[in-house]
Amino acid sequence: MNKILPTIFHGPWAYWIGAIILGVLNILVLIVRREPWGITYNIALWGEWIGTNLGVLNDRGLTIHNLMAATGTYLNLGLILGALWATLVASQVRFKPIRDKKFFFSALIGGLLMGYGARIAYGCNIGALLNGIASSSLTGWIFAIAVFSGAWLGSKLLLKYLM
Amino acid sequence: MENSAFHSQQKWNIGFIVFLTLLLTLLSQISIHLTVILALGIGLGFVLQKSRFCLVSAFRDPILIGMTQLTQAFILLLGISILGFALVSWGASQSNIPLRLNVFPLGVHTVVGGILFGIGMVLAGGCTSGLLMRVGEGFAMQWVGFFGLLIGAVIGQRSQVTWRNAFGESPGIFLPDILGWAPTLILEILVLAALWRLAKWWQKKQLGE
Repeated sequence: MNKILPTIFHGPWAYWIGAIILGVLNILVLIVRREPWGITYNIALWGEWIGTNLGVLNDRGLTIHNLMAATGTYLNLGLILGALWATLVASQVRFKPIRDKKFFFSALIGGLLMGYGARIAYGCNIGALLNGIASSSLTGWIFAIAVFSGAWLGSKLLLKYLM
Repeated sequence: MENSAFHSQQKWNIGFIVFLTLLLTLLSQISIHLTVILALGIGLGFVLQKSRFCLVSAFRDPILIGMTQLTQAFILLLGISILGFALVSWGASQSNIPLRLNVFPLGVHTVVGGILFGIGMVLAGGCTSGLLMRVGEGFAMQWVGFFGLLIGAVIGQRSQVTWRNAFGESPGIFLPDILGWAPTLILEILVLAALWRLAKWWQKKQLGE
């Protein structure tokens, strides 16, 4: 017991152990939520709400009440809190600043592309890829091939301009 | 040394556990359903962080450095999820519980969106789950990435209609509808097994034993 707990807390766990537990949790989310785990739809809703309240976007009737009743909000909040907790149990929490200005721009552009791409395709790596394939949807498989091609292009860009 | 580092943030850890317990208790007074969802979210975040699970690495590392361990783990996750989803959706249909699976419409936007997303996640250093995870870990780069994601998602959400009108879309194809459940599952598991073999072979070819 003296050895097991620190190993669990400190990590890192083997990838295959992570895969099995994540698989079980993914299925539990489907059972409880009656729809699969997804991330970006809820993020788009929060962006919509923030944009509306800043006066940048025209109001489409989205209220904070809608957001606080949305299951996606709690999955995303939980994900951030869970990751923070996992870092905290291992005493690994520290602020990690950006080392180079070019990484600031690659993160910003990358984030924009991800958000835009995910929403026109109705989902991200989780909702459309993992759970698209898990739902036995042909779209999920085609999306996976597209993401892989994109990752290949992105790696080329990374090697050429950033590394 | 390892041990003292391990204990250095223990006070914060206990405080955080108290905070999480209070949050879950408070939420349970409003909705048990949302409390369970939040707990599952915390579990997902915890496991993602502890196992260093990153879908960007699963897609990028085979190309960049020839490593495929995470790719293989991701294939395992897909296999578990396919079988679990099949079982749950069968169970739901048996007891007439409404259940929505992610069978999304197919169109040009699926491919364009996937490619943009793939480029973006490599540049941002994290897919959406990875970004959220690293936001929680304290990486400044992913905070910037998250800010970009928020804006990109809103613009993307609002352009769905434009893409639909410009290129049209066909309804999503639910494979069991055309192939039947058993052939679909066998086919999908065979494809995953083939990909798994391919990933193993690729790493061996790139890095040796």
